[in-house]
Amino acid sequence: MPLWFARGLRRGVVTTRYPARPDGSAASLPTPPAFRPGQLTRELVDEMIAVCPGPALSRIDDALLFDAGACTACGRCAQAAPYAVTPSGEFELATTNRTALTRIIPILGDQR
Amino acid sequence: MTAVEPRAAAGAREQLIRRLNDLGGLRVRGRDGTQGAVTVRLLAESLEAATHVLAGTAGIRLADMFADSAGDVPTLRLVWACDADEPGYIITECEIEGEQYPPLSDIAPAAFVEECEIYEQFGIRPAGGKPLNRLMLPPHDGTELPTLGHQPVQPPAEVHAPHTVGGQAFEFPFGPVRQVGVESLYYGLVTSGEEVVDLYLFTWHKHRGVEWRLRGKSVPEAIFLAERAEGLSAVAIGWAFAAAAEAAAGITPPPAAARTRAVALELERLYNHAAAMAALCQATGLSVGQAAAEIALEQLLRVNAATFGHRYLFGIIEPGGATRAPDAEALRRELPGAYGELRRAADALVCTNSFVDRLEACGILTAEQARRLGLVGPVARATGLAIDARRPAPGPYADHPVSVVTAADGDVFARFTVMLGEAAESVRLITQFLDGGTAADHAALPVKGAGGAGLGWAESPRGEALAWVSLDEDGRITRARLRPGSARNWRGFDDACRSQNVFTDIPIIEASFWLTVAGMAR
Repeated sequence: MPLWFARGLRRGVVTTRYPARPDGSAASLPTPPAFRPGQLTRELVDEMIAVCPGPALSRIDDALLFDAGACTACGRCAQAAPYAVTPSGEFELATTNRTALTRIIPILGDQR
Repeated sequence: MTAVEPRAAAGAREQLIRRLNDLGGLRVRGRDGTQGAVTVRLLAESLEAATHVLAGTAGIRLADMFADSAGDVPTLRLVWACDADEPGYIITECEIEGEQYPPLSDIAPAAFVEECEIYEQFGIRPAGGKPLNRLMLPPHDGTELPTLGHQPVQPPAEVHAPHTVGGQAFEFPFGPVRQVGVESLYYGLVTSGEEVVDLYLFTWHKHRGVEWRLRGKSVPEAIFLAERAEGLSAVAIGWAFAAAAEAAAGITPPPAAARTRAVALELERLYNHAAAMAALCQATGLSVGQAAAEIALEQLLRVNAATFGHRYLFGIIEPGGATRAPDAEALRRELPGAYGELRRAADALVCTNSFVDRLEACGILTAEQARRLGLVGPVARATGLAIDARRPAPGPYADHPVSVVTAADGDVFARFTVMLGEAAESVRLITQFLDGGTAADHAALPVKGAGGAGLGWAESPRGEALAWVSLDEDGRITRARLRPGSARNWRGFDDACRSQNVFTDIPIIEASFWLTVAGMAR
């Protein structure tokens, strides 16, 4: 036991503010999609909904409903429409309000 | 127990197949991709005799059993692993007319859990009327849930509960809701106050019907779900599933992509073994050791993120190859530090008497128990059985053979030492695979005319992961069987807990098995 006591003292306090420093590997993590409304058409949105393995995407008329809480950042929507979808780079998604994870994105591509 | 003991000497797979042919078996010619596995079709009347032959041969182990209702009558398939001279698999398949088949678990006890599952899912049961447990479907509203075949005429009797407890013993229910982040699992603990008299598990709280959901999907769609059958073995079960689909379609992944898969698989083993070490420290109340192991775990997860872009290595395996190549430079730079952290924590732990004392002679399993129950992974290797799904050809391990780490005592400490040995071996193998060259490459799956069936395997951190996939002519899945290592090893957990252990040993034994409930209740 003294070994572990000394080891704990040597390491010092391990609890830090969050984040203690920027996470170097964060840039390479998969993140939920960000959508370009001007590139979205209803047809394209329906294709993305079809490839989404979860319930993260749905469409109501001319709006795309995106639920980041149901998104696993698998990247399939970005594969289906690379010019309309990019990785958001956001992975700090914790919130006390579930609805804050739901976004409504207007579909503006059909109007052009 | 009337189980058949292995008396026949270990023989080559071809000799065994000839013996099965003599019993009326017919070898099924597969596509080129089915190298390493041979399918033999049996007549219903020779199923029992063939099972006797296989179960009675040393070095042959029942790895899985499942049913398929693609034809007019259900087909029963038994997957036998050959662990002797020429590692590989034999699949025996047999159509079952009527609602009963010979009680195969009387011959090979490792078949019992699957007999229960097949009855729930397909309504066919072993003859003799032996009681069967519930496995996937809950007792209260089981009939409303979809099954893979037709419903059983009578629901399973559930021999576990109500449990009869006599004398001074009483039953202590624990779960299914346990600690905050721990998976749903119900323990029925029978105890007289301290010693574990009996223990049984209910795993159906977490059943997700993954195999049911895979039907009708294309292989690229399905791999997303297959990986999630056991997320902590995402690479292994994803690889097994992809290999099965590749065998069914008759394609082989490019060698550099196969080495990419192997790098991911060994990284998966490293972080899981670090997590098991942290769990062992938590179970033994060694909080500083736990923190040290978790620091190593976090560093290994960051290595995963830097190498493959995902901390838990999801999305790397794709049917036919690999989606991402490892960042070899980052991996060579970061891995020695992360592994060094793991090694330092482990070296300190094996010098800590209060830790080692709790692990030695705790949760003992013998090689005989492991063989009878068909256990795999570090649990089996800690009893002395050199079982490893990285040995059968084909694959990247043919050019970079693995040195299988074993121990003899079969207790928790033996499992811990096997994990440490495997972690060192994983680091060695990763270097070799990187030197061999890795790439994000794939062989294209044929879109039409891809019909066929195949078996795939990979060695997950918790043991052999198997998958069997059948495709129709459009390349859609007609039946996918996923068998993660956890689905095999939970059946040895109660035996390990009963072997003269006390209450507080159970978390230690569970940590040393390092299984997932998800893998069992997929």
